[in-house]
Amino acid sequence: MRTSRSRRSGASNSSLLLAGWILAASAQPAAAQALSQRGFVDARGAWFPQQAPNDPTRGVADLVAREEVFARPSGWLRLAAGIELRVNSHDQVEDEWRLDVDDRGRRRPRLALRRLSATFTHLGMSLDVGKQFIRWGKTDIVAPTDRFAPRDFLNVLDNDFLAVTGARGVVAVGGETLEAVWVPRFTPSRVPLLDQRWGAASPVPTLLAVVDGGAELPSGPQTGIRWSHVGRVDTSLSFYDGFNHLPNIAARAIVTPPQVQIVRVYPSLRSYGADAAVPTRWVTIKGEAAYFTTSSPDTDEYVLYVVQLERQTGEWVIVGGYAGEIVTARRAPQIFAPDRGVARSFVGRASYTIDPNRSIAFETAVRQTLDGAYAKGEFSQGRGQHWRATVAATFIRGRAGDFLGEYRRNSNLSVGVRYSF
Amino acid sequence: MNSTLIAALFAIGVGVGLQAGRLPPVDDARQIVAEAQRRTDARSQRYEGLLQVFDAKGKVTDKRWTFERLGSHGDSRAVLRFTAPAEVKGVALLVVNHRDRASDQWMWTPAIERDRRIALQDRSTRFFGTDFSFEDLEERDVDQFEYTLVGDDAVEGTPCWKIASTPKTSKSSQYTRSIVWIRKDIYALVRIENYVRDQAMRRLTYADLADIQGIWSARRMEMTDLRRGSRTLLTLDKLQYNVALKDEDFTLQAIRRQ
Repeated sequence: MRTSRSRRSGASNSSLLLAGWILAASAQPAAAQALSQRGFVDARGAWFPQQAPNDPTRGVADLVAREEVFARPSGWLRLAAGIELRVNSHDQVEDEWRLDVDDRGRRRPRLALRRLSATFTHLGMSLDVGKQFIRWGKTDIVAPTDRFAPRDFLNVLDNDFLAVTGARGVVAVGGETLEAVWVPRFTPSRVPLLDQRWGAASPVPTLLAVVDGGAELPSGPQTGIRWSHVGRVDTSLSFYDGFNHLPNIAARAIVTPPQVQIVRVYPSLRSYGADAAVPTRWVTIKGEAAYFTTSSPDTDEYVLYVVQLERQTGEWVIVGGYAGEIVTARRAPQIFAPDRGVARSFVGRASYTIDPNRSIAFETAVRQTLDGAYAKGEFSQGRGQHWRATVAATFIRGRAGDFLGEYRRNSNLSVGVRYSF
Repeated sequence: MNSTLIAALFAIGVGVGLQAGRLPPVDDARQIVAEAQRRTDARSQRYEGLLQVFDAKGKVTDKRWTFERLGSHGDSRAVLRFTAPAEVKGVALLVVNHRDRASDQWMWTPAIERDRRIALQDRSTRFFGTDFSFEDLEERDVDQFEYTLVGDDAVEGTPCWKIASTPKTSKSSQYTRSIVWIRKDIYALVRIENYVRDQAMRRLTYADLADIQGIWSARRMEMTDLRRGSRTLLTLDKLQYNVALKDEDFTLQAIRRQ
């Protein structure tokens, strides 16, 4: 694996530049033709009743402003651009005022390019080039085949997707779709900050200072191909070759000054996946599985699978199932892997629409060993065309050695207000 | 009936066997329905819709969508995309209608960048907080139903045929039967009442009829959920027929694009 040591990079790539050039070149006709936008300003505060050993802060406030613009200058070309501005009370946002384009920073960028892409279409073919969101798979909470979807895990249980930069070609004929993806520049998931409550515990008990040693980011491309069939049963087969966007954690002792550096290493990863949705008379059965292999030493090989039942009845949408894991080669001493962390669990999600403006939602994952569990409840109330308020409570319990249990002091109550435009 | 309905809201499928200008025997319910269907034939259509959802207390919630349909009745594809309120902008529904079976439906939610197939057993649920169910959004073939002429009636003083419709055993539907009212003078649908067993569940009324490009079209439709006491008023703006639309814009890939 070729790697390049990187703590931050403002570099763009050729795909991104291409998309930017097209957007600029097409701005004039786009204004006169199909142009749409969506955006919001979201203010949110979270209160943690318990103090964490590595983080005395109990209140965190966050402000996000996002604007996305979509243009269709001609029948065969679509353009998308999105930008995001963040402010945070707990040092989760970088101080610099720069436009971040690659989401590689340890902290969230203050100003980020969320997406910038051009889509070319012709008959049943399309090509998306630039910074874009690519989602694979069918299941919720855990999606083993969703390999081009890194996330921002500064809050492990309330995370958001990050875009990747590359090209995606799609050919659709009838109910068959073939999709090929090439991502030349790696985008890692953003992991919790070491000195904050969602940060992983030190892998080695030590009296030395534990510091962030940065990340070793791979420089090679990621590729994937997916065939999907839509019919009475929806099925997909996928192949991915690249790197895990979730890191192995390496602890390195430094003599001068004496300290332990925590370094994030992103191992090579190859996965063979499949997913299916089977509607039956009473429920839709969804399944998704992937087998992960690697050429990197000190990295596990494993199978992740999910089986879930889904039903929408009345005002309820109910999803419940099981996420499982089979480790075929256990080598990694320490990892940060929320997808595997929530495996070997019973998972569920339910939402109820009270009326056009109000809804409640509930989500849970309970480890089969009962070593860890979380439950989230949320009430949401809209007002008028623009405003929505949300109150949410998250309860986390478990043992220290469990992925979920280690966050047992992070139960929290949050309140958010969003203005959409 | 008019084909402006969110994809021909009710079980009125393709017109068959009737020639233009020839009226059917008035005691043949199926032919009345087929003639009503034939008079709304269009290769495609497009409109901008304003949805006003009135709850039981009279509180109003507005939503807007754009609607495009391509293809003939019973064998068409439709895309419905929300444009307001702001928080649901971009949410889209793709409906692929089939002559011989229920439609396929997928919903695209941009907030999670994911599409979800609407399973057949989920079609009776309300569509995005409105009083329309997912099933109400699909177009169905005339041959999937049996029709019986119940008699004559008047809606707002206009003479109508009153026709009972029941799904054939091969047809999956939340409704046990429906009663439709079709105007005798212009063969336009003006009211539908949908029943589950003997209980009326939803009533759809059509108003503000106008001749648009030779097709009698309702520019206002109101769906009432008779159990909840809520109703949704759909007002159609910029309604056009036979507009130039492309096949490739009516696919699962296409609804993912904004």
